[in-house]
Amino acid sequence: MSLFTPRRVGHMSPGGSAITYLLLIVWAAFVIFPIYWLVITSFKSVNDVNSGPVFLPFIDFQPSLHAWRDLLIEDWADTSRSYINSIIIALASTALSVLIGSMAAYALARVTYAPRLSTVLAFVLCMAAVLVATMAYGVDWRLAGAVAVALFVLMVRGLGNRIAGRLGNGDILFWMISQRILAPVVVVVPIYMMFQSVGLLDTHIAIILTYAVINLPIVVWLMYDFFASIPRDLEESAQLDGATMFTVFREVVLPLSKPGLAATTLLVMILAWNEYLLALFLSTADAQTMPILVAAMNAGERGILWWTMSAVIVVMILPVLALAVVLQRFISKGILVGAVKG
Amino acid sequence: MATAKRIEIREMDKHYGAFHAVKSLSLTVEPGEFLVLLGPSGCGKSTALRMIAGLEEITGGQVLLGDRDVTHVLPKYRDIAMVFQSYALYPHKTVAENIGFPLKIAGKTKAEQDAAVADAAAQVQLGELLGRYPRELSGGQRQRVALARAIIRRPAAFLMDEPLSNLDAKLRGFMRAELKRMQKDLGVTTIYVTHDQIEAMTLAHRVAIMRDGVLQQLGTPKEVYRDPANMFVAGFMGSPPMNFVAGNATGAGVKVGDRALSLEGVRVREGTHVSVGFRPEDAELAAPDDTADLVAEVFIAEMTGDETLVTLTAPDGGHIIVRAPPDIEIEDGARVGLRIDPAKRYYFETDSGKRLRADD
Amino acid sequence: MAADLSPSPTGAAQASASLPARSRGERLNEWLDRNARHIFLWPAVVLILVFSIFPLVASLVIAFSRIRLSGGGFQVRFVGWRNFDKQLFGSEQFHFLGTFGPLSLMGWVFGLAVTAGVIWWIAAYLRAGPTFIGTLGRLFPWGLVLGLGWLLSYTALSGRPFGTLLTTYFYVLVGCAIQFVIGMGLAYLCSRAIRGRNFFRVLFFLPLMITPIGIGYTFRMLADTSKGPFSPLWQAAGLGDFSWATDPWAARMFIIIADSWQWIPFVFIMLLAAFENVPRDYSEAASMDGASEWQIFREITWPQIMPVAATVMLIRVIEAFKIVDLPNIMTSGGPGIATESMSLHALFAWRSLDLGQSSAVAYLLLFVTVVTCVSFFNLVVLRRVRS
Repeated sequence: MSLFTPRRVGHMSPGGSAITYLLLIVWAAFVIFPIYWLVITSFKSVNDVNSGPVFLPFIDFQPSLHAWRDLLIEDWADTSRSYINSIIIALASTALSVLIGSMAAYALARVTYAPRLSTVLAFVLCMAAVLVATMAYGVDWRLAGAVAVALFVLMVRGLGNRIAGRLGNGDILFWMISQRILAPVVVVVPIYMMFQSVGLLDTHIAIILTYAVINLPIVVWLMYDFFASIPRDLEESAQLDGATMFTVFREVVLPLSKPGLAATTLLVMILAWNEYLLALFLSTADAQTMPILVAAMNAGERGILWWTMSAVIVVMILPVLALAVVLQRFISKGILVGAVKG
Repeated sequence: MATAKRIEIREMDKHYGAFHAVKSLSLTVEPGEFLVLLGPSGCGKSTALRMIAGLEEITGGQVLLGDRDVTHVLPKYRDIAMVFQSYALYPHKTVAENIGFPLKIAGKTKAEQDAAVADAAAQVQLGELLGRYPRELSGGQRQRVALARAIIRRPAAFLMDEPLSNLDAKLRGFMRAELKRMQKDLGVTTIYVTHDQIEAMTLAHRVAIMRDGVLQQLGTPKEVYRDPANMFVAGFMGSPPMNFVAGNATGAGVKVGDRALSLEGVRVREGTHVSVGFRPEDAELAAPDDTADLVAEVFIAEMTGDETLVTLTAPDGGHIIVRAPPDIEIEDGARVGLRIDPAKRYYFETDSGKRLRADD
Repeated sequence: MAADLSPSPTGAAQASASLPARSRGERLNEWLDRNARHIFLWPAVVLILVFSIFPLVASLVIAFSRIRLSGGGFQVRFVGWRNFDKQLFGSEQFHFLGTFGPLSLMGWVFGLAVTAGVIWWIAAYLRAGPTFIGTLGRLFPWGLVLGLGWLLSYTALSGRPFGTLLTTYFYVLVGCAIQFVIGMGLAYLCSRAIRGRNFFRVLFFLPLMITPIGIGYTFRMLADTSKGPFSPLWQAAGLGDFSWATDPWAARMFIIIADSWQWIPFVFIMLLAAFENVPRDYSEAASMDGASEWQIFREITWPQIMPVAATVMLIRVIEAFKIVDLPNIMTSGGPGIATESMSLHALFAWRSLDLGQSSAVAYLLLFVTVVTCVSFFNLVVLRRVRS
């Protein structure tokens, strides 16, 4: 009997199990060490950081609270404002995208839509025409808009009979989910100009709306699978009992989708919490979020204040890590049931 | 209580693309009647039921509930309750909340709901289970919850889609009896879909038998059993079902193997393929001599307790099942004769399945 | 089912005809009910149209324009292909594609090998019975592979620096490959009968939750060869003066390591779910037949998780093309442009207020992303799902 023969059915061999645990522990160390280093750095004095590595608090070095004092007392106004901004933006954009996304996902899972191909084509053409006219030729946007609406109506009438094709639910679903392919840099400049022209730059609303749309494809994708797997009988029974689509959605569908909803909400909230690039474009001071605050630590003339920066990052990741640990049950069950089906 | 209403279906059609699922179905269900839609799976019976409920769009024809045309009315305005095969209980609601859900939607007060729930639960003997969740109930109890939810609203009609098929055999017999009793007490017009002909025979006032989307016969259980309209109905009703032996019409009768069965007054062109049908209880075993109507070989004999079912291999290669007394001693492979009650023979055109009658 | 949850006009008429006079609230409810199918779908459609499709088209217009920001507003001048021309053939060519020059021997060998590979691929497809649409669709991946192959031959393999296009592909291909292999390995180990599975599951998941900005700065600290935790090791190896940030390949690997630290958890958690979904019966039956663990994995487990793995990698590839935070924080794209991804390239162009160039680069990124992902989807995901 070799080291690699299982001793009992359904168990690993002693050698196999030793290798398994060794690999898992090595990886665990690789995962933990950066986080550990981050945390101890936030408690190091300036000297301890600058004079070569020290590893163990109380043994290697004497922990100091100076970075935390800077962050939580001296710069409290800045820190707290960013923190509150981040919380507001993460919660509001998550609520918005989960609500709107799951309503759309439910509708796509249950109602048959058949938009005319000709209407969609006409719309795209008109929108492109308006943009070219206003941006490249400086036509007033009200005039261009009015002309485009008239043109759109005419085209829908005219093309409707020539192009017979219709799109289906699958096409709408694909269209929504495929928006995730768009890198933020592709759309951020026009979004920046849009908010600038309506004076909403550096406001919560601008960032909330943008994040909600960026995360919408994820919500639609995850929730569609969830809704599609709910037995139709339940909804039909409620319909026969007189429930409207809204009642069915609120009373039957949402309660049954709690695991998926929880996982989706968590995922979207984390993406919103961590987002950096769009916030960089859309906020300057008032609506500044935590990632921007972190990046701003780099800008001082004294070089990077590693101790304070570590403290900021710790403050930023603490709630997320807590959420992840508390909700990991949902993560493993929820997201992944819907998503893994592909 | 809403008074029981008549349900009338006029030439109802359902197409799924090129597939014609229900073909010009016309039916009238009288107020308070229990009608069973019976047929093999895929015959269109469930689709028909879902169209009556409004869950499936109607491609052609009309549905009338009482005097009202509900063909294009949304399900929720039809005043119909439905019991699903899966029961469709909401897993996140307690028994009481499940039963009271239709009233909650209707905007009834909590007190009204509670009273009605208690009342409905009492009718199906669920009183002590109101606080539980569906997952904590047995199959039979879930079934009762589904029934209670259907009756609480006092609808004008019940629709039931194979409600007993998820229960085990013993419970099914019991629930069948309860269902029949309840429907009688409430006097609600009921349409019940099943593929189980015993359910149909025991429950129905009238049975509508469907096949490939076409209504084959509509009549009382006794009528469809004793006077089937065609070979399909004859073969579908009864357990074990009717036996058929195929032969050719000659001047003297139907030639089956080396025997000829009399036609009993049925006139048919010579050379036509004719199948003779008879129920297992309408034939008896006899000696394989010249007086026997058929001679066959014993395939297997099964004692079921109060009788023995003898399966024979017929001259045309098919199987024939005959009911025999429980104490009969018979060898597998033995040659036996068969005497078929001449008054209880049915004749069909083999190719079309059409019934041939003496007065035709 | 084709039953429509929304009332048809006749249905609504019927319903209102049979009901007595109603209050305004009831009328509103009925209106909501009748239009439910639109109310459910349209908010999402409108949001996407306004914040995704409209900017997408606007960005296309900008990519063909020269924009001058003046005061609060901006002036737009249509310049045709000039922005793209500059990136592909003009003064920015070194930045986007790389520096061109004579081919080295290795460049020739690699370029010809890629060409031979593509020709073999085309021939294999033509033999298998091509369709018009199929051929048309495959022209894109064929062209892309050929183009990228020769680009690599002309730049890196001939000893010259390459641009943001190849850097992005480096992050996508090498990064995703590493993440897939390690993520799947960990998922496989965790799916076995081990103690503390839940502990490992939660722990391994954590990096995914941490903001990329934080990861970038943390890894900068870790990689510091004079003050970082590994500096004793560097010094012992005589590399105390070595700096990640000055060597192009070291800097790129450095970013890939940080990226993998963050994204392996994603591959891990998805594939773990997939492994746990594989019914045990099959592998138990196979082990009764005397199959080894490797045989069981290759013959039974792998075919079953393949569709999920393909989907997971598709998602990962889509997100990988967007990489911007890590290079921005860790190296600012340096040394030179060695670690600059296309997203970062576009961001830098925007910072220098060259919106036209920024949009042009962004559109080029969109183009290669779509071609790569659609090809991957059609050639790998769909095929695996079908078989």
